[in-house]
Amino acid sequence: MSRAHLFHEQTARQRLASLVDPGSFTEYLPPPARVMSPYLPQLDIPVSFDDGLVIGRAKIGGKPVYLAAQVGQFVGGSVGEVHGAKLTGILQAAARDGIPCVLIVESGGVRLHEGSSGEIAISEAMRAVFECRAKRVPTIAVIGSDIGAYGGMGILTACCDFRIMTEHGRLGISGPIVIEKWMGKQAYDSSDRALVWKTSGGKTKYLLGDADVLADDEAVSVAAAIKKLLAKSCPLTLKGLKARHQELEKRLKTFGKTPDPDAIWKALGIADVARATLASATEFAALAKKK
Amino acid sequence: MEKFDKVFSSKPLAWPRGKRWALAGVVGSGNLEVLFERNPQTPDKMDCHVESSIPGYKDSWLAALGDFAANYPVGGTKVTIHDQGAAPIVVTFRLRQAYGHLLNKTP
Repeated sequence: MSRAHLFHEQTARQRLASLVDPGSFTEYLPPPARVMSPYLPQLDIPVSFDDGLVIGRAKIGGKPVYLAAQVGQFVGGSVGEVHGAKLTGILQAAARDGIPCVLIVESGGVRLHEGSSGEIAISEAMRAVFECRAKRVPTIAVIGSDIGAYGGMGILTACCDFRIMTEHGRLGISGPIVIEKWMGKQAYDSSDRALVWKTSGGKTKYLLGDADVLADDEAVSVAAAIKKLLAKSCPLTLKGLKARHQELEKRLKTFGKTPDPDAIWKALGIADVARATLASATEFAALAKKK
Repeated sequence: MEKFDKVFSSKPLAWPRGKRWALAGVVGSGNLEVLFERNPQTPDKMDCHVESSIPGYKDSWLAALGDFAANYPVGGTKVTIHDQGAAPIVVTFRLRQAYGHLLNKTP
């Protein structure tokens, strides 16, 4: 890859290649291994060589890392049995070897076509994240594409030590269309992109503290953020968990009835919403600090 | 799902050293993924396996693959395609892209 690409436009393999030290990536179960979904052919749905997940080992800034990158265009980046087993495996390897694990997330969650196998796969991956966290091995999730992290992958992302987002990324449990179906179009219009990104997009998630870093939409910016977090970990304690629950309760009380996401931005210290909307990640982070 | 195999004659490809495979594209709507692998047993053949979710277009597939085998030296290569309704021009584009990845030594 010679030209500079926008991170959200890159494929999973391009993202990995542009984040790690040149030539340092070794893929596990690469396409020729053909470890593919046993369920999709039964439903007459085409399979993919890597089941929508690229996993491997590499170096970032000279330090070893394990990585996984989801292919959002393949069945929505969904976690099937094979996809989930690969994800769990790379996280377990990280816990075993004490090497940080970076997840490039681009997924709507569990692959419903695979039923309970997909559900079990994602819960196994979550257990592996907590194995890492118990051993203080850093787990870092990167969300930098429009598909974002939803459903089970939204939960898995929230389980990690840290989250890096770009303004293209989105994070949530139920996706916008699901919310609209339940609450009605008047309550939440999923075709209103500005509304969707103002409620679940990277900038809002950074303001609320759900994302730890807001990076620019390019691999160098994401790689710089990863480098800063590789040596850190976030301890998982009962005290910390209770504090987080209180924080979420407070958020619900404060913003639960707020009809307009701009009002939330203002309450969180963004005076000039129009300017902040157009600001780069670096500018936005500076504006967010001027509370 | 339509599945078929077909072998085309093609000039031998000089595989770059250390390169064992190349991948292009993704299995998404109107798209496909294609994997090139070394097949040294038959250095003057392009050995194809196609799986497509849209049945009934075998003639178009054979035309696109035949053109590619005639226009590029890809002998000694096994080509596997997982398709989700790619148009013929996308098929040609992905084949050329995988060929490009192979020679540029990029993933």
